[in-house]
Amino acid sequence: MANTETTLKEAMTSIEGTIGVALVDYTSGMALGTLGGGKDLDLTVAAAGNTDVVRAKVRTMEHLGLKDEIEDILITLGGQYHLIRLLKGRGANGLFLYLALDKGRANLAMARHQLKKIEAELDL
Amino acid sequence: MSTTVSPMLVRLAAERATGALLRDHGTLYLVDGQVVHAESPASPGIDVLLTSAGRLPAEDWQEAVDRAGTRGRVGRFLVDSGRLADGELELCHLSALFDAAFFALAPGSGPTRFRYGAAHWLGRIRPVSAAVVERESQRRRRLLDELWPYPDTDTAPVVRRTTPSGQPVTPRQRAVLDLADGERTPGDIARALGRPAFHTLIDVRRLAAAGTVATPRVAPTAPSPVPAWVAQVADDPDTALLRRLRDALEASL
Repeated sequence: MANTETTLKEAMTSIEGTIGVALVDYTSGMALGTLGGGKDLDLTVAAAGNTDVVRAKVRTMEHLGLKDEIEDILITLGGQYHLIRLLKGRGANGLFLYLALDKGRANLAMARHQLKKIEAELDL
Repeated sequence: MSTTVSPMLVRLAAERATGALLRDHGTLYLVDGQVVHAESPASPGIDVLLTSAGRLPAEDWQEAVDRAGTRGRVGRFLVDSGRLADGELELCHLSALFDAAFFALAPGSGPTRFRYGAAHWLGRIRPVSAAVVERESQRRRRLLDELWPYPDTDTAPVVRRTTPSGQPVTPRQRAVLDLADGERTPGDIARALGRPAFHTLIDVRRLAAAGTVATPRVAPTAPSPVPAWVAQVADDPDTALLRRLRDALEASL
């Protein structure tokens, strides 16, 4: 039974190349917990901004009439990957995990797999 | 840095005070200067958030309050007795705390008092620094205004527009719209859905911006037919003046 802090710690330590991680409530744009980041990546700002990314995709899916759910969203920068994973648990209504990875050190397939595992452990 | 909403909160945080900060629209509970809980009549409490969504049967909540309330360990009891997962309680609590704090820290909400030593029966779950709570409340206020700068949308009954706006509505917003009967306010809808009030304010402002619900018109204050000083004069009629006035009028007509 993991709480937010241990979940973020696990993401930070077990996923290779992690720069920062945040648990975000996407309606309010508030980061419920953050770890890592630093002066080059303000996770609180990233959290609020990325809620717009999620919402834009949700809206587009409504427009298209797609009756499906977003599992994750990947944004590839020159030097980083940003991975957004929407949580599905009972208590996870409208939450996502946001992960920033160093492109040079990260293994994307592995990171996605581990993030999925961490979600399962975040007992909601 | 933006100006602080409650200078008293800043001072109490600095002196690591323990107690309850009472404001017009809600109460913040502090332990060692950190915010451990918040309550507001404008936002559904953690009990509503937990029980409405069916995550916790109402009787389980009641039992926890009965058995652990006097010891101030209701949160701990729910987890230790296996009724709630640690993470679940923590997230729901944070959600309720920031939701209530947003209303409690509404600007200009009357006098502020502090009751030293007062503790909340829920107990310590995850304390948050007062600065974070204040910053988040201000961010939320800005966010609402960026979405649709009509604050009356937050308190007026939600009215669906009859002409379809053609804008897509997300499943979350759909649930809000389904309860918009022209009488319920966003706060009522939040309570009925077991969702934080602020989240419903966001949904309603977005729906209003999209033209799916009506933006309440601020009723223009009816201009008074006579200037305000008339009322003051009437309180203390200067009969001598009135008599002179009458005489003068009679003389000139």
